[in-house]
Parts: sequence; C-alpha cells; structure tokens
Amino acid sequence: MASPKGGAGKSTCAVLLATGFARMGASVTVLDCDPNKSLTRWASRGLPEGIALLSDVQRSELVTVIREADGDGRIVIVDLEGIASQIVSRAISQADLVIVPMQPTALDAEVGSEALGLVQEEEEALGKEIPHAVVLTKTSAAVKSRVQRELEAQLMAAGIDLIEPSLVLRAAFAELFAHGGDLEAMMDDPNIATGGRVDRAIVNAREFTEAVYERIR
Amino acid sequence: MNASGDRLRGLKARPKNISTEELRKVDRVGEDRGFSDRTPRRKPGRKVSPRTYQLHPKVLPDTGEAIAAEAERLGLTQGQLIERMWQTYRYGTAS
Repeated sequence: MASPKGGAGKSTCAVLLATGFARMGASVTVLDCDPNKSLTRWASRGLPEGIALLSDVQRSELVTVIREADGDGRIVIVDLEGIASQIVSRAISQADLVIVPMQPTALDAEVGSEALGLVQEEEEALGKEIPHAVVLTKTSAAVKSRVQRELEAQLMAAGIDLIEPSLVLRAAFAELFAHGGDLEAMMDDPNIATGGRVDRAIVNAREFTEAVYERIR
Repeated sequence: MNASGDRLRGLKARPKNISTEELRKVDRVGEDRGFSDRTPRRKPGRKVSPRTYQLHPKVLPDTGEAIAAEAERLGLTQGQLIERMWQTYRYGTAS
C-alpha cells in the first residue's frame, strides 16, 4: 500500500485485504511499517486466524522480511507510512502489486501520483514491470461525484489500472480499527454497533479483494 | 479450507531476488523524487551507563555492599543515603 499522503486509506485497504485473503484460506503476513502503528493497534484488539503481523519493520530489514514471509499460497501485505521515504521505494521494488489508494480529491490525486511516478521510474531503473493500480477510497455510496468521474477519466487516459469497485466510505471500515478482527466477526457480534451497513461493507470488501486477487494470481 | 482456499493454493510466489546494486538504484531513484531515508538517527554522545550500584572504589567492599543494600531498602539512591549520613555526621541529625 503506497501513497505519500496520510489518510488516503492505506491501512484500511491493508486490513480489508488481509482479512479477505485470510477468509479465502491464504496465509497472510502483514508488515506494519507505519510509525502510527494503525495495524498493530487493530491486531492488538483481535487478530483473525491465518494472519501474522510484524510490527515496526524498518527500512534496512524490509527486503529480507518480505522475502522470508513470501511463498506459494502466501500473501504479504506491506502497510507504509503516509510520507515520502526510502522504505516506500524499497517496498515497491519487491511488490507483485503496488496499490495506491486515493480519495477522490484533487489533493489525493496530486500526492498519490508521486507514488505512481516512483513506480514507473523504478520500472525503468530495474528493467522490469512492477504491476500497480489505483483504488479510490472513501467514495460516496449514493452518487459518483464530478471530481471522482474526472479523476477516473484522467487515470484511465494515463493508462493507470483502476481497481473496481472503489472502497465506499463505510462506518464499518473505520470501526474495524476500534474492535479488531474482521467484518464478518463484526456482523456476528451484537455488541458492536457501527451505525452503518456492515453487510454492504462486507460485499464491498469481498469484491475489492477479488479484484486484487485477479491482479496477483 | 473452502473452495476459495483451493484457488489460493495455486498462488505461486514470484522471485524476489534483488542485488545490492539494484537496491542502490532503487534508493537513488527514490531519493531523486524526495523519497529519502527517514530512519530516525541515534542520539549523539555517550550512552547512559547502566547502574552498577557501586560506591567509590576506596570504600571497603563490605561497607559498599551494606550501603547499597540500605539505600535499596529505603528506596533511595546511594547518593541520597550518603547525604543523610553526612547530615547526621555533621549536624548530629538527618534532615
């Protein structure tokens, strides 16, 4: 998950993919490289079966840690800090898929494009393709805004792979960090009130996970 | 494992070998775009020494150990205990 902008939805994407792939039976390792430790906090409240979390992974050890965690039938998810740092460029060099989450705003698009530019330059430097895609986050469930339509058109015109569906702004996604676990466990727990539609959040997250799976298989 | 799990069994890891030279290239490309090394630097200067509970080397070992044990019992540092001892010695009473 790469974007030098904070709040773009990297940690949310990481949690949704980790829990989604774990539900699909994969062995998932999540590397929390963000000093804010959002994923470590989420894991401390309940880590679903099939997921291992490594916290506080530093730049110097990242490549080795990814290599050790990787393997057939395994998924390694790297959640990066929302800042332009060398650990981002190193993580990109190891990725089978770089996901750049972006809110449909002009600022997110501008800052997020820095990550896309870095991917393209690393491709040139290493002489290999680094698959990458953008996912729009915190989109409206009701209507597609003009800014979102324009951003999608710009990304497609630039030949950028856009993951569909986007991740809708859902209370359940935010609540995951308060309760740990996954959306299905949240749905089954009568003590958790999100004030939103968990069932719709589950469908959105599953379709997103499927779309990512299609890109890495 | 469900049917989805069977699908994931076919997921093959791709080689992740990267040479030191390639990693340097990646770092350079990143730095040129402002993605620089932001690893926190260590603070300069000498590291704080671990507490050894040793008194001045000229204090006899038994006396030093007794003072260390008494300071620990009272929850004081040895320096604080020695200040009290000095008060008693100098003024006949601890403050």
